[in-house]
Amino acid sequence: MQNNEYVVGMRGIDKIYPNGIAANQGVDFLVKKGEIHALMGENGAGKSTLMKMLFGMEQPTNGEIYINGEKVAITSPTVAIAHGIGMVHQHFMLVPSLTVAENVVLGMEPKKGKLFVDFRKAIALTEEYSKKFNLEVDPNAKVMDIPVGMKQKVEILKALVRGAKILILDEPTAVLTTQETAELFKELIHLKEQGYTIIFISHKLKEIKEITDRMTILRGGRSMGVYNTADTSEQEISRLMVGRDVILTVQKEQAQPRSPVLQVRDLEFTNDWNRKMLNKVSFTVRKGEILGIAGVEGNGQRELVDILYNFSKPDAGSVTVDGKSTLGLHQDKLRDMGISLIPEDRMIYGIADSASIEENVISDRFDEKKFNNGPLFNMKAIHKESERLVEEYQVLCKSPQQQVKMLSGGNIQKVVVAREFSSEPALIIADQPTRGIDVGATEFIRKKLVELSRAGAAVLLVSADLNEVIELSDSLVVFHGGEIVAYFEDTKKMDEMEMGEYMLGLKRQSPEEVRRVVHEK
Amino acid sequence: MSNILSSILTTSFAASIIRIMVPILFAALAASITEKAGVVNIGLEGTMSLCALIAVTCAWKSGSTFVGVLGAMVLGVLLSLMIGFFAFKFKTDIILCGIAVNTLGEGGAVLLLYLLTGSKGDTQTVMGAWNLPRVTIPVLSKIPVIGEIFFTNQSVLTYVAFLCVLLVWILLYKTPLGIRIRAVGENDHAADSVGVGVYKIKYISLILCGLLCGMAGAYMSMSYMTMFSKGMIAGRGFIALAAQAMGRGEPVGVMLSSLLFGFAQALANYVKGTNLPARLVEALPYVVTILGITIYAISTFNKARKIRARQEKKEQKKAAA
Amino acid sequence: MKSKSLRLFGYVRGAAALLVAFLVALALIFLSTDEPLTALRYMLLGPAASWSKICRVLAYMIPITFTGLGTCIMFSANQFNLAGEGCISAGGFVGALVAIYCPMPTVLHQIVCILAGAVIGGLIMLIPGFLKTKWGVSEMVVSLMLNYIILDVTMQFLTQNFADRSQGATMTFPYKSTAIIPKIFEGEQVSYGIFIAIAMAVLCWFFLYRTRWGYAIRMVGINKEFSQYSGIKVGAIVILCQVVGGILAGMGGVVTQLGYFSQYRWTALTGYGWDGITLAILAGNNPIFIPIAAFFVAYLQYGCELMNTWTTVPVEMMDLISVVIFLFFAADQFLSGFRQKLVVRETQKELAEKAVQTGRKGGEEHV
Repeated sequence: MQNNEYVVGMRGIDKIYPNGIAANQGVDFLVKKGEIHALMGENGAGKSTLMKMLFGMEQPTNGEIYINGEKVAITSPTVAIAHGIGMVHQHFMLVPSLTVAENVVLGMEPKKGKLFVDFRKAIALTEEYSKKFNLEVDPNAKVMDIPVGMKQKVEILKALVRGAKILILDEPTAVLTTQETAELFKELIHLKEQGYTIIFISHKLKEIKEITDRMTILRGGRSMGVYNTADTSEQEISRLMVGRDVILTVQKEQAQPRSPVLQVRDLEFTNDWNRKMLNKVSFTVRKGEILGIAGVEGNGQRELVDILYNFSKPDAGSVTVDGKSTLGLHQDKLRDMGISLIPEDRMIYGIADSASIEENVISDRFDEKKFNNGPLFNMKAIHKESERLVEEYQVLCKSPQQQVKMLSGGNIQKVVVAREFSSEPALIIADQPTRGIDVGATEFIRKKLVELSRAGAAVLLVSADLNEVIELSDSLVVFHGGEIVAYFEDTKKMDEMEMGEYMLGLKRQSPEEVRRVVHEK
Repeated sequence: MSNILSSILTTSFAASIIRIMVPILFAALAASITEKAGVVNIGLEGTMSLCALIAVTCAWKSGSTFVGVLGAMVLGVLLSLMIGFFAFKFKTDIILCGIAVNTLGEGGAVLLLYLLTGSKGDTQTVMGAWNLPRVTIPVLSKIPVIGEIFFTNQSVLTYVAFLCVLLVWILLYKTPLGIRIRAVGENDHAADSVGVGVYKIKYISLILCGLLCGMAGAYMSMSYMTMFSKGMIAGRGFIALAAQAMGRGEPVGVMLSSLLFGFAQALANYVKGTNLPARLVEALPYVVTILGITIYAISTFNKARKIRARQEKKEQKKAAA
Repeated sequence: MKSKSLRLFGYVRGAAALLVAFLVALALIFLSTDEPLTALRYMLLGPAASWSKICRVLAYMIPITFTGLGTCIMFSANQFNLAGEGCISAGGFVGALVAIYCPMPTVLHQIVCILAGAVIGGLIMLIPGFLKTKWGVSEMVVSLMLNYIILDVTMQFLTQNFADRSQGATMTFPYKSTAIIPKIFEGEQVSYGIFIAIAMAVLCWFFLYRTRWGYAIRMVGINKEFSQYSGIKVGAIVILCQVVGGILAGMGGVVTQLGYFSQYRWTALTGYGWDGITLAILAGNNPIFIPIAAFFVAYLQYGCELMNTWTTVPVEMMDLISVVIFLFFAADQFLSGFRQKLVVRETQKELAEKAVQTGRKGGEEHV
């Protein structure tokens, strides 16, 4: 028999994916009514998989799920919704071309007559819930036109309108500013007071301490146990999550910046929806230094990287590498000039998933002379190269012939890095180089990055991980609203609090101060 | 040249455009619905072919053309569901499913024809000629020119086809199902997460597609011609795909692009009687199709650029002021 | 992760697909004839009944091997170009004209004919390739339209300019004897073209798996964005794979014409292009398996024809069989439940081994 104090009881859950990856093994997950329960763990620990099973998007291989003490089979999100479970996904589940109200009522549209949608009622319903729960949205706006914070509110509204009593929030603060996060927390506490149960997925210690009552910690697909948040120290949580003390500092010597490599001047870019994403952005990255770009995501970093690698064209401005303009050049030419990129989304840009590791590491150099004998590939040279890289970059695999998609996230990223770092790059653009990968791989990649910069490469590091940009960069700029709002020449002398204010646009340096980053007189 | 012109400028020429465009319109509307739901169905050609045969057969067995149309619609639905079954259940690439149905439409129709009639050519000798009722709309047909083109002596299905343009538009933009179809096509995860059954919606879109394809087939064998004959669809299913692409899947756009293809085909038919090279002229509708989707693609390709150019102009004006 | 039992599973699934196809065929045969056993015998054993029949199967293999290879290459780059159908006619027609009107010493004559067909096939495929690369026009729709255009154009020239009016049917004048690709065995239908076809299969394998162009084609097929970012000229590759596909189909047309016919008389689309797609599916886009798949399809096709001749079962039965094979072969999830069970069992075994090594336990409660 189940104990009825638990609204959610997942017991002995196993999940093995068709590719053989065991995402969950024997996990117990018990949530009490009316609490905010954290589900913690590093990326890849199996949090999302566990929640997907609770929300009916995946089926457990073994194990049982109880809702309000009753054993249930959650075969689809519909069933989950019927049991009063709502989920706010990390990647928003919204239809861009529909309005907010249409998104809110999608799947349960109010009807006029028997056949038609009652659009007025949909708007009224959205407004009603919006007021009741203090979640402010514009019901008539199309979702593609609204900011991220509002999109998240739409997601929460969607769940509430459907009668959810148990809300799953998958890393809800990942895309929010500090203010938006504070606002969200206020809304969540408001919900809790009204008797709602909230499952809060995160790996940010501070947030967990601030808002949750209890927590379940996952590591490597297994549960490390359930704890009262108030009784558990941050150090203890961190130890349980990663299994050892996190090394927060990166060992590196003082940078010796030399001649300028990447020079970006007055870059401007307007996106398809007419939003100015980059406004007069200028900076210089010099040989032997790591310049970090910090900022809340969506403030122009992605657009900048796209332009630097010629995936889109700027409206105005110039980009030069070693004095030569790179705008409009094919990526082939960029690679010839020694420009490497670790792309933000490795599954889309970084790898060809069903190709072998070998085929992935040679994708930028397969047409070089040493890998070809006349028209044919020199297979010996290719095997040698791939074996060398797999070894040097410690890619955990059976052989270089193994399909990349069979590897873990961290090892996939090592494949990308092996390719990008081994081409003797003059400039490395690293866009979120360690996002979502295990500690070991993260440490390895960071060390390599520092090594290369000290050996003379210019590195532009874009990262939403504050700890990472501060620790890794020699100097740093902050992006806000498509502009550089601050420049810190030495990251060692930085104050995190102050930087937060720059990131949120509460403060900004004078144009003269910012202009120092171009290193021109 | 001048006599070509004079024959084009007749109402009978215009009426023939309508006659030719109707099956393409049906099939293109069918393709639009699936496309909006994110389902690429290239099996229209084969579906139309089998439906055309079944239409005549059902009409012959029952003695009613209405039953013929009904039979074709049922078969259209079954074939579309088959595509769905393999594509969604067995994860066969949906384009390959479409190709399979087309192969079935070609060989299977002949096989069925043979089993039914003992002939591999057409249904004429065994089943006779079948023609859907032709209707002249009382008041509207009195309107000069337009009345004669649109409202005089047209097959009932012609009126149904144009009515379907309106119905599909209402379906897509004013009904819960339409919102769900568009949601599934645009972001199926979003639809799934609120309990809209993605596959259910995709199947429904395929069913609607099958119904429309069935009517397209029935029109071919009981209005366009009065029998089923081997190879009679002659690429119309593929042309409909092109019409859908050109019309961006919007019902009115699809109607206009079907009209264009109807015009090209009608022109080819008229020119055939002249001393111009006959076979080359027969290629005209296909050439128009390629030109059509290319022009469409170029226009969407340049759209982004144009928007930007317009903005710049605005800014310049502002600066000037 | 790919273990022996999973590979075995692949074969089991293939066999199951064939079995389903066979059962469907069986049902239809019972429906359409009073002597089903005779029909079956003709279909399954007929093509192997005599040497000359086997030779005929081999002769059938030639055109579809070429279109199959072309399709392999185009599908490898994820280009759904279906104009192999048209290109084999266009290539065959142009090759035929060279064989009729350009006197040359033998050997050279065949080579020039084949080259001419290859060139025209490649040129035609430039159209969908270019339109796709430049403006993103769907190569599928363009290629489908091209098939009809090619047929109309060749028919225009055939009927108006090159027809032998002394003949009852529409056909050209006979090929010069210097251009004929000779038969391997006197009086049997298979020509030396079969060797050209098999050689091309080997060449295509090398092209796809052992050259930089083939590598680029496969990478573009797996992930376009990745290829672009890696510095591969994606647009050029999209054109290249289609042109190669056209060249192969064009060659196939000529080899078939000069080895099988004595004058050009294709007045309708041949269907070889569609067979090529079936082959590419059966071979999993690997050129080396194309001849095997071609033999299989040719055998069945001829079996159906024999059945058609000697019983009342129509030859179109073949289309149905190929549809069924096609659907099940390409079906990723066919028998997937079975596969999932296999994976789970293996993984659990692996995990159990690991657990024994580390002796870890998880999930106690601390509250």
